[in-house]
Order: sequence, then structure tokens, then C-alpha cells
Amino acid sequence: MKKLFKSTLYLLFLLPMSFFAQQTVSGTVTESSNGMSLPGVNIIVKGTSNGTITDFDGNYTLNNVNNENVLVFSFLGFTTKEVIFNGQKTIDVTLDESQNALDEVVLVGYGSVRRKDATGAVNQVSTEDFNKGQISTAGELITGKIAGVNVTSGGGAPGEGQNIVIRGQGSLSLTSSPLIVVDGVPLNNENVGGSRNALDFINPNDIESMTVLKDASSTAIYGARAANGVILITTKRGTGQDFTFNYSGTTSVFRPTDYVDVMDSNQFRSLINEVGSQEAIDKLGNSNTDWQEEIYADAIGFDHNLSTMGNIGGFMPTRASIGYTDQDGILKGDNFSRTTGSISLRPTFLDGHIKVEVNGRGMYTENTFANRDAIGSSVDYDPTQSIYDVNSPYGGYFTWLSNEGVKNNLAPINPVALINLKDDTAEVRRLIGNAKVDYKLHFFPDLTATVNVGYDKSNSHGRTVVSDQMPSSQLDWNGSYSNFVNNSTNKLFDAYATYTKDLDKHSITAVAGYSYQSFEFDKYNFDSEAQEDGLEYEFIDKAKSTLLSYFGRANYNYDDRYLLTATLRADASSKLNPDDRWGYFPSFAVAWNINNENFFNSKTINQLKLRLGYGEIGNVNGLGDYNFLTRYTGSRSNANYQFGSGFFQTYRPEAINEDLRWEVGKNYNAGIDYSLFTNRISGSLNVYYKKTEDLISYTTVDPFTNFSNGIDKNIGDMENKGIEFEINVVPVQTDNFKWTIGYNISYNKNEITNLPDQVEKGGINGGTGNNIQLHKEGYAPFSYWVYKQVYNEDGRPIEGAYVDRNGDNQINDEDKYLYKDPYADIVMGLNTNVNFKNWDLSIVSRANLGNYAYNNMASSKAHLNRATANSILTNLHTDYYNAGFQNITETNLQSDYYVQDASFFKLDNVTLGHTFANVMEDSNLRVFGSVQNVLTVTDYTGLDPEISGGIDNNFYPRPRTFTVGVNLNF
Amino acid sequence: MKMNYIKKLILIIPALIIVSCNDDLDQTPIDPDSFTEADVFINADEAKGALAKLYASLALTGQEGPAGQADISGIDEGTSQYSRMLFSLNELTTDNAVVGWGDPGLPNLHAMSWGANNDFTTAMYYRLAQEVSFCNSFISNAESLNSNDEVKAYIAEARFLRAFAYYNLVDLYANVPLVEKVSTDLPTQSSRAEVFNYVESELLEIQDLLKESGANEYGRVDKVAAWALLSKLYLNAEVYVGEDRYTDAVTYASKAINSSYAINTTDANGNGSAYDELFLADNNTNGAQKEFIFAINFDGNQSKTYGGTTFLVHASIGGSMEASNFGVNGGWEGLRTTRALVDQFDYAVTSRDDDDNPVSWSDSRAMFYTDGQSLEINKIANTFTDGYAVKKFSNIKSNGEQGSDAGGDFVDTDLPLIRLAEMYLTYAEAVLRGGAGGDQQTAVGYINELRERAFGDNSGNINSSDLTLDFIINERARELYWEGQRRTDLIRFNDYTSGNYVWPFKGGAKNGTAVEPFRALFPLPSNIILTNTNLKQNPGY
Repeated sequence: MKKLFKSTLYLLFLLPMSFFAQQTVSGTVTESSNGMSLPGVNIIVKGTSNGTITDFDGNYTLNNVNNENVLVFSFLGFTTKEVIFNGQKTIDVTLDESQNALDEVVLVGYGSVRRKDATGAVNQVSTEDFNKGQISTAGELITGKIAGVNVTSGGGAPGEGQNIVIRGQGSLSLTSSPLIVVDGVPLNNENVGGSRNALDFINPNDIESMTVLKDASSTAIYGARAANGVILITTKRGTGQDFTFNYSGTTSVFRPTDYVDVMDSNQFRSLINEVGSQEAIDKLGNSNTDWQEEIYADAIGFDHNLSTMGNIGGFMPTRASIGYTDQDGILKGDNFSRTTGSISLRPTFLDGHIKVEVNGRGMYTENTFANRDAIGSSVDYDPTQSIYDVNSPYGGYFTWLSNEGVKNNLAPINPVALINLKDDTAEVRRLIGNAKVDYKLHFFPDLTATVNVGYDKSNSHGRTVVSDQMPSSQLDWNGSYSNFVNNSTNKLFDAYATYTKDLDKHSITAVAGYSYQSFEFDKYNFDSEAQEDGLEYEFIDKAKSTLLSYFGRANYNYDDRYLLTATLRADASSKLNPDDRWGYFPSFAVAWNINNENFFNSKTINQLKLRLGYGEIGNVNGLGDYNFLTRYTGSRSNANYQFGSGFFQTYRPEAINEDLRWEVGKNYNAGIDYSLFTNRISGSLNVYYKKTEDLISYTTVDPFTNFSNGIDKNIGDMENKGIEFEINVVPVQTDNFKWTIGYNISYNKNEITNLPDQVEKGGINGGTGNNIQLHKEGYAPFSYWVYKQVYNEDGRPIEGAYVDRNGDNQINDEDKYLYKDPYADIVMGLNTNVNFKNWDLSIVSRANLGNYAYNNMASSKAHLNRATANSILTNLHTDYYNAGFQNITETNLQSDYYVQDASFFKLDNVTLGHTFANVMEDSNLRVFGSVQNVLTVTDYTGLDPEISGGIDNNFYPRPRTFTVGVNLNF
Repeated sequence: MKMNYIKKLILIIPALIIVSCNDDLDQTPIDPDSFTEADVFINADEAKGALAKLYASLALTGQEGPAGQADISGIDEGTSQYSRMLFSLNELTTDNAVVGWGDPGLPNLHAMSWGANNDFTTAMYYRLAQEVSFCNSFISNAESLNSNDEVKAYIAEARFLRAFAYYNLVDLYANVPLVEKVSTDLPTQSSRAEVFNYVESELLEIQDLLKESGANEYGRVDKVAAWALLSKLYLNAEVYVGEDRYTDAVTYASKAINSSYAINTTDANGNGSAYDELFLADNNTNGAQKEFIFAINFDGNQSKTYGGTTFLVHASIGGSMEASNFGVNGGWEGLRTTRALVDQFDYAVTSRDDDDNPVSWSDSRAMFYTDGQSLEINKIANTFTDGYAVKKFSNIKSNGEQGSDAGGDFVDTDLPLIRLAEMYLTYAEAVLRGGAGGDQQTAVGYINELRERAFGDNSGNINSSDLTLDFIINERARELYWEGQRRTDLIRFNDYTSGNYVWPFKGGAKNGTAVEPFRALFPLPSNIILTNTNLKQNPGY
């Protein structure tokens, strides 16, 4: 009885014990080097999602801990520490600073590795290294940060698209943009109608890191579409136990910095008085209008972002965010406003065997597009005329009229009228989501099966309304209205399995899987003018393409010294004919961690890794969807043909190429990653050679053998070779003061090695159908194809005088030569960060050397005859004072006088911030101010030397931006 | 249990999806404007759409009007239109026309200094070769429907259009490939004689397969077109193959003349002349259509292009000309003529201005605009007022109204490629050159018919002694200027490249100079020479 009672009591004691086996532990985490407390340290119970982070004093409290649980303390830059919990109430931990970059986890596509195990050329930029200031799109975060990655904006419009090129132009007619993968979902690069930029749906504040895969050994696993590199974007995840909040907001002012050089009213007046006929002089006005000033103005923008992260129910880390951006452009009437929302849930089940990740990202953007025709018109318009004219039949705006009383059909339109009388708006809704399930097999824990399902849907509506007051040369003008609706749906289904095994010194990871993607779009257009004319007025365009792949990768690591990676991917695209549909893309890489060798004993050198890789990748992006199928296109109702008294729709057979194959890139890369002085100096050096074969190019085909004079064919080869070097130095690091400098430089040489045909490119303004660039074997693609200008003894160009290079006494196409190209030979970035106590300063600068631009503004707008032609007065570009050309002719336009060196140095960003710690309980506040587009140093005489594609024609100028912002964590 | 299910599902569902997705690789167009061969050649009505394209290919530039979904790439779409290029190659290179624009390759035309890469010579070759391919494809596909009589006529018309394309090719380029079936095999080059023989044999064969004279709907050809083209071919046989075929030229010109086609004598707008009706916006209904043996059709709303008559009307307007008088909203300030053409009408001048330059004529074919225009040309580029402007083409209807495009941009006027007046002149010339089967008296009668229409009475008539070869070449200019015939005529008379006949800025010199004889032929596109190694470039290029 007594025994029973005792045992019952004992049991009773134990019972509570077993309940209270769920214990709480707390403590402080400090740095071993200086004893300073470490906020933001991750503490997790190994194998679960139960975790927390240290607060601003380095303190933490963790609940629901059981005996035998392993607590893992980790923090970027420090060596992870594990402590076994056995009932301690307090566990204080000191963490040692580690070769942090090496422990950093880097994504490599369908998996991740530690940086020190990476065998390819991979650069990862995370939140702390992102460019700061007023950032509205993802591309701006990494401008100038990574060697070999060039990010150029299309211009100064708000939310403008970014052109990203990695290691030079990879293709002639297909896209040269890298593949962008967001949370494992590869995006379709084509623009969604009504939006300015394919990446504008991601709020940069939601991005945790951007990883750029540059060489084939790292990109090959993405096979098709990865020919131009891959950018992996990872969005922020939920961490910690309790919900924390972050608010960040900025307000910015955008100011125009410069205008195109045209004559002012005094110069123009004296010119016309000097050379004009009486008729022309009579047309001069009495005003002094600076048309460019009239259409540009200072603009304001602001953005607010609120996010929260924490853990729901102890098993589901969560992050949710909303953001709102509203930016005006410096061109009057331009506005970009975007609302984004995102949610990320990462529950784990079954003791961590099943990890689920659900990400959803939504965007709603409203765009008001200012009328960019005003940019060209403001350069053309006579500065002596006033903006308004009460007698004008067009809304009171001064207009050049023809004898019929309508706008002279060759005259430009009043720029202010262009801005005010056209309404061009669009809304875009986009939803990207994915659900990923990782299942670590119970019966075989070395194997994890993953399924990732992605969905990307966008829908946009837009309309353009032109007022009936808009000056027009049409006799029956009563305004116009058009609208469009675009829908596009992309789906992704990935299934793969990952196997990891660690055996003593050997470590193997293998991945094998399958991926299916489909891309579909549906465009609808409505045209009121056509409806008025009684014609077909609704147009529908639809297309669909699919991509199917099988892939596999094996990683082998011997003793952390020798690393091997091999991948193989098989891709099939519906755009290619069935016989050539499948492409096989292997890759192979080895790396040698020299610093881990026994014979290597250097205290200074922490890491020295040698990498060699080779890979093959295919490209088919930007190719038409059905080029190998016989198809007929019906004519629109305004291109029907009359027989008798009726009009008939005509059917035209389309040119076909039944032999289209993959464009294949073969890439070789050799690199060295190094790190010295406990990571105070680190960086890498890469040398690469990229050969693209079977380049798909639109090329001449004998029209007797097909239905047109050109077709996309696999017809050429191209080479890119170059060197990239990066170095990051931390010259000073003390308690209060830290200074880092990052410098990257890359050199790229691009050459077309095989092209039977030459292809004209680069349409320019001035006359009809003039081109300024050429693809030709033996030269860089898009090289300028120009006449060689002859100059007099004073260095002034002689109009109409060109070098007769083939000596046949005639100046025609055969006297043109290839001169320079728009792509920089050398690109450099120099960034520095200074942290002093609670202050931080960062400066970002870049330089491009050897890029040439064609000044189309000077070439088409500086000839004298333009001023009085067409029975009106038109302003001249001030290049007239240099060159004094009288006429615009095909040869004048294509003179090499206008191809100018546009090498530049730009000081992109200067940001100064101050952090107020503990301004409220458990929170901190950072306030910052920044200036962007601070300074440009260049010899180029046009508006901006950095023009994507090199042709300077009606470029939307980039503003200088002044921003103040706050960032609050609580 | 549940766990097992879940585990199984996780592994099985993906496998199922993988299998079903494989078929998705076979995509076909889902666009409502896209059709397959089976859709197009399912019956005669649908096939008519493909036939319409064979004609439209000479009038329009793509499947969207005025521009869009272009047939030919690499050249501005408006300039790639057939008749606009024909004008550029056959009129701008002669004494008939100059243009002040700086489009690539354009100034080289009047200066006769084009290279093998010239945009116009290149695009014209593409356009004609593409037309041959379209016809070849139509002919072989329509075979399946040829039990239907309508389709038999379609096929004959397609063969005519193919022969017409080859006629142009033999005239402009001479040594081109002869292709009857579209295949990826690179074609070999044929000689000028071989192409000539092919055109001749095709036309002779189809003359009985085409519809009777006047029996086809407006816009489609009948057997008279085959006869007319044959007579043109034979008239130029000396140039093409060095043979005297003038008798055949007389034969077929007579057949065309004796058909249901007739010279238009209806003065629908009452201005005293029945000539201008041929080039008005309603020239498909005002009587002119009786004279048109082969014409291409335009419409301001439903058949829009920047080439064709839209080009001819707009580009000729500038200076002090009122665009509304021509039925359009403005001028492009481009085309004028040289005094060489104006001087051809000296025999009919009725008044002169203070500088002694002619300003009005009794020959209504002298349709020049002189107000503010100088007769002499000092500078071709950018100066519209140098050189008389030409008022021949207009978008006004006989009743004075503007054409159907209320905005005044696009023109309705159809363009005759072959009209009966040309047959009269061909007959006369062939007789003078010794062709049998015709006589001088009849020839004079035909010329006088044209003269009577031009003058409104018989004050301009000629008699037998006036009818010489020199007279013929000049009368052809007076009747047919700006209709794409001049260069062919000058070559036949040995006046095109030689110093025998020069005109303002011929060869780039202000008063004109001779150019190299090889310029009587245009170069094959240099890109084609590179792509097809079977082809050899024409001499001199």
C-alpha cells in the first residue's frame, strides 16, 4: 500500500516533470573578440522550426525546449555554435567571428551550397550590400556591385525598365537578358503589356538577396533560357518567435539635370534673320520659350513599406508585407504608383520531415504614361513661338497650320499640347505564387523529395485617349480612343529529389528532377478610329509555348579540399521542330581549396580556391512561337483587296524554317577565390570564354525558296571572352569604426566569328529607314557602320566629303566601314562604406570605358535647311555651330563624326544615415538621406553617355534624386 | 495509414503530371488570324483569299494597312510597295522625275550611282521573287480544287501574275533563277533568254485558260492581259534576247486593241479632257476602267498603304500647292520633274510667264503645276520648288469630292499597270520597226485617237510623215509618264545610259552625262549573292 502510494506520488511527480520537460531557457549572446552583445542572432532548436532571435541587448528567451534538444546559435559572420540543452535555465554563448563569407550559404539553383564549396562563378549580394536610397525596381539594387554584370536603365522615367547584361551580348536576335528566378520560379522575360519593367512587381524591400550565376557550370542546371546567366532572387523569410515589425519610408525629390543643346530664341532669331527668306523671317514669333523647360519639372515620390515577421503556432515562420510607392516622373504627367503585398509561410510538419513553403506576391500598379513624343518635339519646336495662341483651332495651343487650316502634316506638334491632350494610362495586376513541399523520406532520410508548383498571372488594362483638341493633320479629326486588355499566364511544375550523404571525408549531394513550364498570352486591342471607318476594330493575338526538362546534378566533396560538380540537363521547347526539339546541356566543374591542404600554411591567406568549369547551355528566348509550322495569316480589314465591288480578306503564307535548332553556348571559366587577413581582403578573379554556336539570327533567305526575304536561322557563331576581378577590403575595423571598400573591374570582348550574311541594325531618326549598326563577321555585334568623315585643317567636318574607301569615285554603301560599338570594353565599380558609431556613409560609383554612342540628336537636327523646311520654322541642335552642315542626307546621317566616345565615370549614390538605438522599447530607428545620380564625368556631348544600345535619340533624361528616409524596427 | 497515403501521393502525382505534360510540346497557333493550309484550300471561296493575296502583293505591303506584318523586311514598309519601287527604278532614274528626300539609296537612283546593296534594287528583287513564290505555292495547292471552273481561272490568273513578275525580273535584272516550285534547294541562275522563253511560253499557254475579254470581275485579269503582256515582251525582245519579234508584237497588240477594252473618252468631270479621269479617285467606275487591262486597286479605308497612289499623290504635293485640291491632307514635298519632260510638250504651249517658261498647254496630258516652281533644277535635295511639280495623280472623284478616307491620308485611286493606250503606241512602234501584219495608216489612226483625247479636238492630230521612231519615244513619254515605263523605253532606244541623250543631273552632273552601259541592268542583291553561291552578280557590280 505504502509502496503503491509512494510510486503513485513518484509518478505524480514525474508527470508534472514530463509536462514541465517543456522548459524555457534564456541568456545573452556576445562576441568573443570584444564581449559586445550581438543582436539578431538566430537560435533554433535543431531539427525543428522552434527558434528566436536575440534582442538589441543580445538577450534571448526560448520556450518549449526539451532535454537533449540541440540549440544552434548562428549569425552571419560568425561561426555557428551548438549547445545541448539539459535543463539549464541560462545559456550564455560567445560567438567567434568566422571567415564569414565562406560560411555564407549561396544559392545555386535547385539547392544551395556554402560559399566555400561553390565550384562556379557565383556572386551573392544581400540586403546590407544593396544600393540604398530611392530604389523602385530590383535591378537598381545591384548596379555597379558585381563584376561582369551591367545594369543600365532605359531612361529616367519612374519605374523604368532595367537592361541587365551578364558578360556581354550573348545573342544577335534572341534576348540577351539573364534568366530571373524568384523563389524558385523562373519568370517569363517578356514584358507584360502596360507595365514599364518586367521586374517591377517585386518590391525591393522584400528582397533578401540576389545571387548572380555567371558561368555555365552554375547556370547549366537551368539549361534553356540560362544562356545569358541567371539571377536568383530570394525574398525575405520569417524568422524569430515573436512578431517584429519593420517600417521603412522614403520621400524623394527628382530634379532634371540637363537638357539637349538646342538654340535659344535669340540664337534662332539671329540665324533666321541672317539666312532666311523674307517668308521665313515673317514666321518668327515674339516669345522666348524654352520648350524643354516647359515639359520637364521637379517631381516628387514617396514610398512606404510595412512588414512583419514571426512565427505562427510555433511551427510556421511567417512574413507578410505591404508596400506602396508613388512616383512622379520629371516629364510632366508621368506617374508610377504601385501597391505590393506579399506573404511567406514556411510551416514544417512531422518533426521537420515535411517542410512547406508558400509564397505569394501580388502587385497592383497604376501607370500614367506621359507623352514621350513631347521629348522629340520640344527639341524641334521654334523657340520664338509662344505656347498658347488664342486663335488656334486646337485648344488654344500654338500650331503650325497648313493651307487647309489643319496642322501642317510635316510639322511637329506643340510639346505642351502633347503633354496635356493625351491620356495614356494602364493598370497591371500581377500575382506570382509558389508552393513548395520538401519531404525528407522517413524511411530514407538521406533523400528529400521536392515538388514546387508556381503560378504567374498578370492582367493589364490600358487605354489611350487623345483629345479632339490635339493638333492633327487629319481633316476629320475628332479625337481617338483605343484600349487593350492583356492576359498572360505562366505555369511551373518542378519535381526533384535530393540525396545527401556524408561519409568521413567524402560528401556527396545529388539532385535529379523534372520541370515543366508553359507560357501563354492573350492580347485584345480596340481602336476607335477603325471603328469609325467601319472597319474591323477589335484585334486578338494569342500564342502559347511550353518547355519541358529533365535535369540532374552531382556534387562531390573530398575533405573540403577537392570539389567536383557535374550537371546534365535535357530541354525541349515547343518552338522548335519535333526532330530537333531536345537539346542536351552538360556541365562540369572542379575546385581545389588550396588553403585546406596540409602543405599550405599561411597565416595571412584564409582562402585560396582554384575553380575550373565548362558548361553548355541553350537559348530560345525571344524566338517566335511557331516558326517551323506552315501557317497563313489573314489580312486585317484595312489591308483587304478589292475584286469587283467587294473587298476580300487575303491569306498570306508565312516564311518557315523547318530546321530551327537550339542556339548553344559553350562556356569555359577559370577562377580564383581568395581571402586574406581574416577576411579583411577578399575577392575573386575569373577568366572566361563563351562561344555561342548555331546563333539564331534573322538572316537573308533566297525569296525563291521561301515566302519572304528573311527567316530566323541557325546561322552564326559568336564569342565573348573576358576577365573579371573583384576585391573587397576592410582597411579599418574597430569597435566604433568600420570602413570597407569594394572594387570590381571587368573586361569583355565580343566578336561575331561566323555570319555568312551581314545584318543591318539600329534604326535611327532622320529620313526613312536609315540604319547605323551592322552585324558582320569578324566584328563586335551592333558595330557602327559609317562613312569616314573628311575634316578641314581646322578640324571641322566638310559636309558631303567622305573617304572613298574603295576608290571607285562614288560614295555609296561600299565605302562604309565598321567603327566601334556601343558596349563598354571595361566596366568598373567602386563602392565604399564607412560605419562610425551610429553613423553610416556609403558611396557607389561606376565607370564604363570604351563604349561609343551615336548622337542621333545632333545628326538629324543640326542641319541648316531644317530651320526653314516644309513652310515652317524648326529649331536646330547647337552642333550646327560645330559642323555647319546644310542638308540632311543619308551620307551625312551615317558619318562617323556622330559616333562619339561615351566612356564615363558616374558617382551614382551617396547615402548618409544615422541609427538611433532603443528609441522606444526594443526598437531602433535609422534615418538617412541620399543623393543619386550625383555626378557624371564624360567627354560625350549628348545628354547622357549611358544609353542602352548606343543610339541617343529622344532619350528620357535621368533625374538627380534627393531622398530622405526612415527605417524603423520594432 | 493516412501517412502512407500522403507519402504515396507525394510521389505518384508528380509522375502522373510528368507523363501528361509531354504532349504539350506540340503547340499549334491559337491566334484567330492564323490558318493552316487545309483551312485555306478547303473550297473555292476560301482559296479566293489566297488568290487575293497574289494581287494584293503588288498593291499593298503587308497584312495590316497601312503598315504592319510586312511582307518584306529590312526596308521601310511604305517604300517596299511594288509600284512605288517600280516608279523609283523606272522613273526616278530617268528624265521623268527627281525627288528631294535623303532616304538611303534614293539619291543614288537619279544620279545613276547605285551600288549592289541599294535598298530599292534589293527590295524590288525580294518583292518580285516573293510574288513568284506566292504564285508557285498557290498553283500547287489549288490543284486539289481544279475540278471547279472558278478555280481553273484562279490558277490561270496565278500563272499570269507569276509571268508578270518574271517579266519585271527579266526587264530589271535579266539573269534570275527560274523556279516553279517552292523548295529549300538553292535555285540555279538562268540566262535572260531562258527567262524570256519561259514568260513567253507561259503566256501563250494561259491565254486560252484565262477568262474572256471583259468577263472577269474588276481587279482580276482576263486573256487580254496575257496578250498585252506578250506584246510588251515582244516589243523589247531585241533588248532581252537580241531577236526581232516585232511581228509578234503587232499581232498581240492588235488582239488587245480589238478586244472589249477601249480608250476612255468620257469626260466625267467636265473639264474638257478625258485623260485626267484615268487618274482620279473613282477611276474604277468613271469610265477609265474600260481602258485598264491590268490595274492594281487601292482604297482609302480598306486597302491602305504608304506606297501606291497614296505615295504618288502625297509625294507630288509641296510648295504652294493646295493639298485639298488633290483630296489629301498635306504634301510630302518630294517629287518633281525635269525640263526634259516639260519640253516634250513645247509644241502645245499656250502661254508663258515672264521668264519665258511655259505655264499652260493645250495638250491636257501636260499636267504640271508651275506656280512658284522653277523650270530649271539647281538643287535636287530638299528644294521642292526646283523643277515643275506634277498634278497627274489625285484623290478627287469625278464629282469633285475627296476620296473615301475622310482624314485625307490614304488614296482610293487605282493604278493602271497596263492600259490600252500603251497597246496603241506599241502597235505603232512595232510597225515602224518592221513588224508585219500591221500598217502605217492604222497606226496613225491610233495615235490620233490618243491625240484627240488629249486635246479634246483634232488640233493635235498628226499625219503619216510625222510618225517616226523619234516621235514614238517622245509620244510614249507624253502619254505614259510616271506610269513606270520610261526606263524600259529609253533602253530600247539606246538613250538610257549612253551620251546620245542626257537630262538634268543624269549621272550626277547638272546638265547630265553618260553613265556606264552596265547600268542598264540593276544588280542582284549582294546578300542573295552571298547566300546563294549558284548565282553570279550582274556585270559591273
